[in-house]
Amino acid sequence: MSLNVLICDDSSFARKQMARALPEEWQVEVHFAGDGVEGVDAIREGKGDVVFLDLTMPNMDGYGVLETIRRDDLPAMVIVVSGDIQPDAQERVKKLGAMAFIKKPIDADKARSVLTEYGIMTGA
Amino acid sequence: MSAAAIINEDQRDCYQELTNVAMGQAADRLARLLNAYVVLPIPKISVIENSDLNMALQGATSDNSVSAVCQGFIGAGISGEAMLMFNDASFASLASLMKYSGPLTQAAELELLMDTASVLIGACIHGIGDQLEIVFNQGHPVVLGQHCDMADLVAYGNNGWDKALAIEIHYTIEHVNIECELLLLFTEESVRALNKKIDYLLD
Repeated sequence: MSLNVLICDDSSFARKQMARALPEEWQVEVHFAGDGVEGVDAIREGKGDVVFLDLTMPNMDGYGVLETIRRDDLPAMVIVVSGDIQPDAQERVKKLGAMAFIKKPIDADKARSVLTEYGIMTGA
Repeated sequence: MSAAAIINEDQRDCYQELTNVAMGQAADRLARLLNAYVVLPIPKISVIENSDLNMALQGATSDNSVSAVCQGFIGAGISGEAMLMFNDASFASLASLMKYSGPLTQAAELELLMDTASVLIGACIHGIGDQLEIVFNQGHPVVLGQHCDMADLVAYGNNGWDKALAIEIHYTIEHVNIECELLLLFTEESVRALNKKIDYLLD
């Protein structure tokens, strides 16, 4: 069974950029969500073993998604990918249970190093 | 041609995302300057007619008494105008966050306005430029007015364009009463050149 990766961002351009940055040899199923509400739904459906999560989104923002994951104990490893690079923002998401923080704009090197560092990428 | 037709939906989405990244970089600079957390909104991308500028600006701040700076920038056949408007009620908090100890005279407010503008406008313009591989050169900042009515500022923007791409970013600072609006305007001709760069990213 392959790993389910969810890309949750309100910008279709950002979702594409993120998908392109994933290592080519990483055998995963990629899913997409356009805001936090869709993101949480997808995680409940088992589509988010690993979640690349934006922070600034309509309906429910990334902080809301992290809170929901923690409150409902949903099985998701979250990597926040955001343009909000204030040290405070990084600290807040880590406190809310995010595993890692990647600054936008995302690129393949940043994605690979985080996936390797946290031992998420397997089966390569 | 309808007002909206100078950019399509994919392009609008891309402008929004590029702005998102650039305004985050600008907010980071401001946060470090003020030692505070800057609340980031979703930027608003729209195409406005010259006659709508008034409305765009009116919506920009909740207070009609404002102080504003503008600064032109140019590069790679693209020129734009950045405008930063501060709600006048913001200056007291801004002064205290910047550890400004003297009396809050008009001159002191001007200094606070210029310092903040140089950080926010510079970082935002370069943030957008970097992502599009454009080097923007900035002109000198110009004070449009202090403690003036929004309507008086509008006269400034009405010089020789019909339609423009407007990027609006509404910054607030957490826990204190500081509110400002950064408006970037690109005329139709510049938008055509920008769209080419955007399409390349979208490809």
